[in-house]
Amino acid sequence: MNAKDPEELFLEKVQGLLDHGTENLGSHTERRLEDIRGEALTAAEEKRSRFFPPRRWVLVGSFAMATLAAVGLFFWLSPSATTPPPTGQIEDLEIITSQEQIDFYQNLDFYRWLGSKEIRKRPNGKGL
Amino acid sequence: MSRFLAEVERRAFQMAKFATRNRDEALDLVQETMLQFVRRYSIRPQQEWKALFYRVLRSRITDWYRRTFVRRKILAWLGRPEEEDPEDPLQSLPDTGNPNPSDHALRQEQRGVLEKAIRALPLRQQQAFLLRAWEGMDLKQTAFVMKCSEGSVKTHYSRAVHTLRGLLEGIRS
Repeated sequence: MNAKDPEELFLEKVQGLLDHGTENLGSHTERRLEDIRGEALTAAEEKRSRFFPPRRWVLVGSFAMATLAAVGLFFWLSPSATTPPPTGQIEDLEIITSQEQIDFYQNLDFYRWLGSKEIRKRPNGKGL
Repeated sequence: MSRFLAEVERRAFQMAKFATRNRDEALDLVQETMLQFVRRYSIRPQQEWKALFYRVLRSRITDWYRRTFVRRKILAWLGRPEEEDPEDPLQSLPDTGNPNPSDHALRQEQRGVLEKAIRALPLRQQQAFLLRAWEGMDLKQTAFVMKCSEGSVKTHYSRAVHTLRGLLEGIRS
């Protein structure tokens, strides 16, 4: 026969008495515990619905889709890197990168007009 | 979640009542514990719930203990008598459903002696004893719940058992 340790017996007895104490707590206490549990379950449900709010996911998803569409449209409409630039743009680039005075190009029409005047003044029509 | 709360609520209430010696205070503590537990930990794995629930309960009881200590000090300083903790009248009602009244009376008496002895324990010893002996938690879980080392749990528990054994010689036999 397995004789139980007195310590073990004592603890078993204590557990039994403590469990017995929870069996009949009284109608007021039991009703209040039920109410508390109901309140806690409602709070848990609210917490869960706040963690996964359906409307927020729809908003976030729509925003992400709109952003993706805008980015896609931008790349689709923008000119590709391999397309040669128009001629006018090359000339502009040469003017900008040249070492000459930019004032000269701005007054180009004036110099042309001046040149034509000088030619007209000479009787033989020759230049300088 | 509903089943878990239904399983722990009675023991939680009794533990809170041992600490507060007051039914309404104990119910308030259980309410605070349940709400805090579901708000913080309801999304955690189910196997962690028990330890987390009792950790919240222990924390709420400790807060209550501190508040009450300060209130009692102030009341004593003002010269007012301390509030008496009313005994639950339902506890003394006879259980008519029990077939053996003398056995039941003995059990009631033993329970009364045990509960009084547990209430008389220092708070940390009381918690260590209830968590280990009643809830069946191991050292590691109890240390987690009590936010202390396993060595401290061992000390509190063995002191509690020693005191209770001395006080409850009749129950042992």
